[in-house]
Amino acid sequence: MNKSFYRKSIFLLLLPLLFPVLHSCEPLATGFDDVENAVMYSKTLKVTPPQPDSTLKVMTWNIRFGIGRQPWFGDACGDNTVFKKEEVMPGLSAVVARINEVKPDILFLQECDIKSNRTAYIDELQYILDNTYFNYAAYVSEWKAEFIASDGLGRMDMGQVILSPWPITDAKRINLALRGDQAGIINYFYLHSCIITGRIKIPGFKEIPLLNIHASAFATDDTKKKHYEEFKAELDKLDAAGEYFIAGGDLNELPPGSDSTDFCFEDMCPGESFHQPGDDPQHKAGSDYSPETDWLTPIYTAYKCAFPLNEYLLNQPAYFTHTTRPEHAWDRTLDYLFTNNRWRAGSAKTHQEFFNESDHAPVSADFVLIKE
Amino acid sequence: MIRKLIVCFTLVCCANILQAQDAPLLKKWSYNTAYQMPAGKWESGIFQPFRYGISDKLEVRTNVLMLPFFPGAGVKIALGTKNNFVIASEHSLSSPTPFLNFISRKGIGGMISPEYDFSFILSVANSILVSRQIAPSAILSANAGFTFALRGSKPDPQSTIDMPLFYPRMAHYYEGASVKAGAAVKGSMCKKWFYEEGLQVFIITRAENNFFFENNGTIMWALGKSLRIKGGYVLAYGKYPYITPKWQMWPTLDLVFGSR
Repeated sequence: MNKSFYRKSIFLLLLPLLFPVLHSCEPLATGFDDVENAVMYSKTLKVTPPQPDSTLKVMTWNIRFGIGRQPWFGDACGDNTVFKKEEVMPGLSAVVARINEVKPDILFLQECDIKSNRTAYIDELQYILDNTYFNYAAYVSEWKAEFIASDGLGRMDMGQVILSPWPITDAKRINLALRGDQAGIINYFYLHSCIITGRIKIPGFKEIPLLNIHASAFATDDTKKKHYEEFKAELDKLDAAGEYFIAGGDLNELPPGSDSTDFCFEDMCPGESFHQPGDDPQHKAGSDYSPETDWLTPIYTAYKCAFPLNEYLLNQPAYFTHTTRPEHAWDRTLDYLFTNNRWRAGSAKTHQEFFNESDHAPVSADFVLIKE
Repeated sequence: MIRKLIVCFTLVCCANILQAQDAPLLKKWSYNTAYQMPAGKWESGIFQPFRYGISDKLEVRTNVLMLPFFPGAGVKIALGTKNNFVIASEHSLSSPTPFLNFISRKGIGGMISPEYDFSFILSVANSILVSRQIAPSAILSANAGFTFALRGSKPDPQSTIDMPLFYPRMAHYYEGASVKAGAAVKGSMCKKWFYEEGLQVFIITRAENNFFFENNGTIMWALGKSLRIKGGYVLAYGKYPYITPKWQMWPTLDLVFGSR
């Protein structure tokens, strides 16, 4: 046998090592397909689901990963990135208490953390599921990375949820357009906006498609507009198929005709300056909605918002759902519920009294069920 | 998985026993073996530490590039040869405090959240290395040792870098001592091409997040008499604070240069 044979044999012997390697590894940050299956959760000891007679209470809530109003570096001028378990649990328990108080039949959540470094590796969805009356949940990641070497973020898995007492079927993650105003490497590790979809079937009523969106908050180009177009396209498909959907979420956009559209000063952190000669940028990312005032018009025109636009325009502060400032009142509307069917008149509510649980107020309304 | 890797590793060793070739393996790649850097010779890599042979019995090392952030130094002492087994011991001291405080920052590069401050930590590592030439062009090396830390105060357990490669090597800064053992075979494929395949286990003396395993494979190309490029992979398994044990693969790359 010659030397060459032995050399080749070493390479051949090394090759099997690659199989387990390629089989078992996760990338540093997770990319997403256009459409993927959601991760399903269920409760071990299930609760008997209610039997509604004519309506279904639906609520959407951006829960700010359960940290309540604590200052976080990413959205509230804070220095903190990471929270201890004893700092997260009170906020998360408060969210659970409010859910049990309102008792929605269907709940859409945004910014729910699953074993993320910043929230002490708590599986927040499992906690919510275990401590409420819901039996099932579907989860999709919006921001998922094994490790983010920036601001001490570390491991991250944040996403959107649909919770229901009835089984959720056909749950999917629909990827939305990537931010066009970020460098490639930052975008790779940054959150990728998406819609979570699913379906529920309540005995005696038609199956209901559900869609929960969290659109980009900080894009300064037309990324958000693309998100609304993609969201509407999904709604249009269901509408064209003769299905009656419930859609909602944190659209990170003001209703058309809003009086205030620039919140740079409201959101400004110490040391920042905007709108002054020489300021670059002139506006704080995610705080100036002025060029976007009609971006939600197509959705408002085609479908029914839980709060009709004319009602909102008459008394805007009553419908505000967000503020970045824990010491001020709500100052803008970013959270919505839409349907192509009907909301029960007078049922819609912006829960502005839930001020300390998150930087978003939940919105709820009663969807009118359609008999089979 | 671990069983498969051990079988592959054993097969690589067997293949080397059969191989016969005259290649200057030790001149090019004595790092990670019980063999010493020859007296008066030096080599360094970007990531691999600078090593200098003081005598045939003593070698010193430090990481030059990291020195301002991660002050530390070590020695390798030749303990002799018995039944063709070359034996050496390695001892090192390092202080990761400036490095930890440097990467505890806002913005890109902030691997640790800026709210954490690290007090003085002194890491002490001791290990035994045994090497044996198993073929004219292949060396099998084994190592076993322990590392512990002397700390001003215990760092916050949430300030760890929960990533393969980093976490097991830093675990003893936070709690417990690190016991490690491993083996590697390195050899030459031809005059300018070399390889190394190794396994390493880390056990941290504490109740949880305490077991880590690494398999590394490296190919090295000797560009000239004093310059080498090496690259490969590290396949790591570990129990991290987020509970689910997992496998991850990382690429490796280094440039090694030194005396002719």
